[in-house]
Amino acid sequence: MRKLTSLVLLMAFVVFEAMAGGYQVRLQGQKQTGIGLIGTPFAYGASSIFYNPGSLSFMKDKYSFSAGVSPIFATAVFRAAGSDYTAETDNPTGTPFYFYGAGKITDDMSVGVGVYTPFGSSVTWDPDWAGQYLIQDISLQTIFIQPTVSYQINDKIGLGAGLAIATGGVELNRSLPSPVNGHFNMSGNTTAIGFNVGLYLKPSEKFKVGVDYRSKITMKIENGDTKFTDIPSALAEYFPASGNFNAELPLPANLDVGLAYDFSDKFTLAAEINYVFWSVYDSLIIDFKENNERLADSRNPREYQNSLIIRVGGEYRISDKLHARAGFYYDPTPTNEKYFTPETVSLNTMAFTLGLSFMPVEGLSIDLSYLQLEGLEDDRTYEPDNFGGTYHTRTFIPGIGVSYSF
Amino acid sequence: MKFKYLIYITIIGFLFSCKPEVDEFSLSSGSADFSTYVSIGNSLTAGYASGSLFRSGQESSYPSILAMQFQKAGGGNFVQPLMEGEFGILPGKLKLGYSTDCLGTTSLAPVPDQGQLDAIAPIGYTVNNMGVPGAKSFHLLAPGYGSLAGVPLGLANPYYARFASSEQATVIGDAIAMAPTFYSLWIGNNDVLGYATSGGVGDTITGINTFAYALNTIITAMNATGAKGVIANIPDVTAIPFFTTVPYNALVLTQQAQVDALNAAYGPLGITFNLGQNGLIIADANAPAGLRQIKSNELVLLTVPQDSIKCAGWGSQVPIPDQYVLTETEINNVQNAVSAYNSTISQLASQFGLAHVDMNGKMNDLKNGLVYNGETFTSTFVTGNSFSLDGVHLTPKGYALVANFFIEAINQKFGATLPTANLVEYPANELP
Repeated sequence: MRKLTSLVLLMAFVVFEAMAGGYQVRLQGQKQTGIGLIGTPFAYGASSIFYNPGSLSFMKDKYSFSAGVSPIFATAVFRAAGSDYTAETDNPTGTPFYFYGAGKITDDMSVGVGVYTPFGSSVTWDPDWAGQYLIQDISLQTIFIQPTVSYQINDKIGLGAGLAIATGGVELNRSLPSPVNGHFNMSGNTTAIGFNVGLYLKPSEKFKVGVDYRSKITMKIENGDTKFTDIPSALAEYFPASGNFNAELPLPANLDVGLAYDFSDKFTLAAEINYVFWSVYDSLIIDFKENNERLADSRNPREYQNSLIIRVGGEYRISDKLHARAGFYYDPTPTNEKYFTPETVSLNTMAFTLGLSFMPVEGLSIDLSYLQLEGLEDDRTYEPDNFGGTYHTRTFIPGIGVSYSF
Repeated sequence: MKFKYLIYITIIGFLFSCKPEVDEFSLSSGSADFSTYVSIGNSLTAGYASGSLFRSGQESSYPSILAMQFQKAGGGNFVQPLMEGEFGILPGKLKLGYSTDCLGTTSLAPVPDQGQLDAIAPIGYTVNNMGVPGAKSFHLLAPGYGSLAGVPLGLANPYYARFASSEQATVIGDAIAMAPTFYSLWIGNNDVLGYATSGGVGDTITGINTFAYALNTIITAMNATGAKGVIANIPDVTAIPFFTTVPYNALVLTQQAQVDALNAAYGPLGITFNLGQNGLIIADANAPAGLRQIKSNELVLLTVPQDSIKCAGWGSQVPIPDQYVLTETEINNVQNAVSAYNSTISQLASQFGLAHVDMNGKMNDLKNGLVYNGETFTSTFVTGNSFSLDGVHLTPKGYALVANFFIEAINQKFGATLPTANLVEYPANELP
């Protein structure tokens, strides 16, 4: 546990950016990433802790470990409606990571723990850009720790469940419009708890089905810090240099259902749907501890809608030492057409994936993945601020990981 | 072999992943030609703000902002009669500062900003911005309006004298001499504002026939050059903070003794007072005793001496002089004129094929607030972002908004696609 704590502290500085689908990032295993981010119908060892705890008990060896990292290079561009004004993000490179360790206690029961980063966002616009009163930059980070137990009822059915301990924080910067002409910063951290349950079915040796449900987690930030700076002295009494706020950011529940079929010893095709319960993100309310006539609570409607992601992928086992994967998915935006903000540039997104696993020795797998996302160019508006224009995003994410089982 | 193939795909993927782009804004001048643009008007066209015409204000005049957008669609150079400094040629510039009133209360308000004035001397070059502070519609056609010799005698306009081509030149003559391909015209504000800002006593309203004749002559002459143009109409006074900032019930009574004394004095006239806010007592020659209580729809001007209300019995023992109040009758006079002007403007715009900016409608919208990019524009004095410290003219941000209203009308009329200006770049009143 001591080691785990220091790992978490080390990684607390990690930031990453939204690739699509709101601020969810599903890069929790390089093998799954390579095959279109499909995970539920597979038993890829320890990384099942995230994708489907039900298949963890189907791991072949007594012990299984897996770790990886996926640097995200994301850019969003914007052109204001009716104008030739353009802007582009200069996001820091995000690095979501994962680490899993699992072992079999008995033949039919496995336990394990995973540390992974399923939600996050890091968007940095120019501080003087046209949308500076909506957002200059935002960074949302979460790290989940998930102790998990999985039980294989028989050789066809596995069940698993994990407790998800989520810790995370958010920081954002905004400029304040005239006549205030100042700057606002807020930051806060919190910890919350959810769960992850999965069911894994093997109706036949060739056909696998996975169902996984990861619960909603509400990140409640209490007593976060607010800072108002560069405030004219005439207004200083209304905008304190330091203060506190409460806010809630919901991390939505996911229901994933996947199928995989082995057409031969060498070739598997898989498909998955992810229903993401984004409607929980109704509004971002910044509840200032101390209000006054000029500083009311900030209520920002979001009204996200539930979304359905459709994924297909395939794996080709070239040899015992080399497996190749590819996949494709479509991730429709959960954002509301009235409330599209440049703080989460989440467009309808098409993505393709590639993956390669190299197994130099028995039990060791070096896993590479490549994910490219294209946020389809579209006109979007945030009506309350009358801020709109054309957005386009492109993201590429090379990933590397290693798995070891014995 | 397949491994190699995979590497190729990955490389192609990386190449494809260079930065995303958005479709470029397609610029077009439509059926208009912006190569030589001339702006004609008054102080609003000149870039007057906070009681003066000074360099940085001119640089954010709406014609200057428009010209920058025109330049993206074939527009040419745009020359303004820029001042040397930040105080202009006449005193009167305001800044925000702290002042202490007669009750010892210190508050933030516009106060005089003193600095080195520019000399009234001809600039010696021709200009595209023919905005002349103080000009009424018929002034634009008056020979000698820019006579340097006439300025000290009060017969000519010092602002026009700086760039008039000769002693007998007219503004419209000089505008035509620029051989414009496109012009903007926003004139008529002073035809009512001279009357309105003096409480209906210091000036007269230009008659509708004079106004219509002047405008018809101006537009006929401008269109004869082959130029196309855009015209803006005149905002109503109730949309301007100069008239709407001081409330009609600015008489605040805090002691029962005051209330009793005033009730005793004014009781015979049927006027009663209460603790709290009360309607001001104003001078009115037509009322019995030459005074009465103000009506809730009447307007007190921004220039009313606040200290006199607070400490010298103005609005209670002493009626507020007529020059600080627009009475119901006076407001009707102004509104009838504005409405007649605006139907003339609208009729001439369609007759001569001009783009038409309904500035009156837009300024009325400001009363409820307009939001762009998260910034709110209202007609609130000082903090509403639209109006400068004199309560009549606009801030740079306000002028940029006006430029966008012009662009909207030009795009619509001439099938152009001019980009709007980025409002975020322009400042409003900056608080200390």
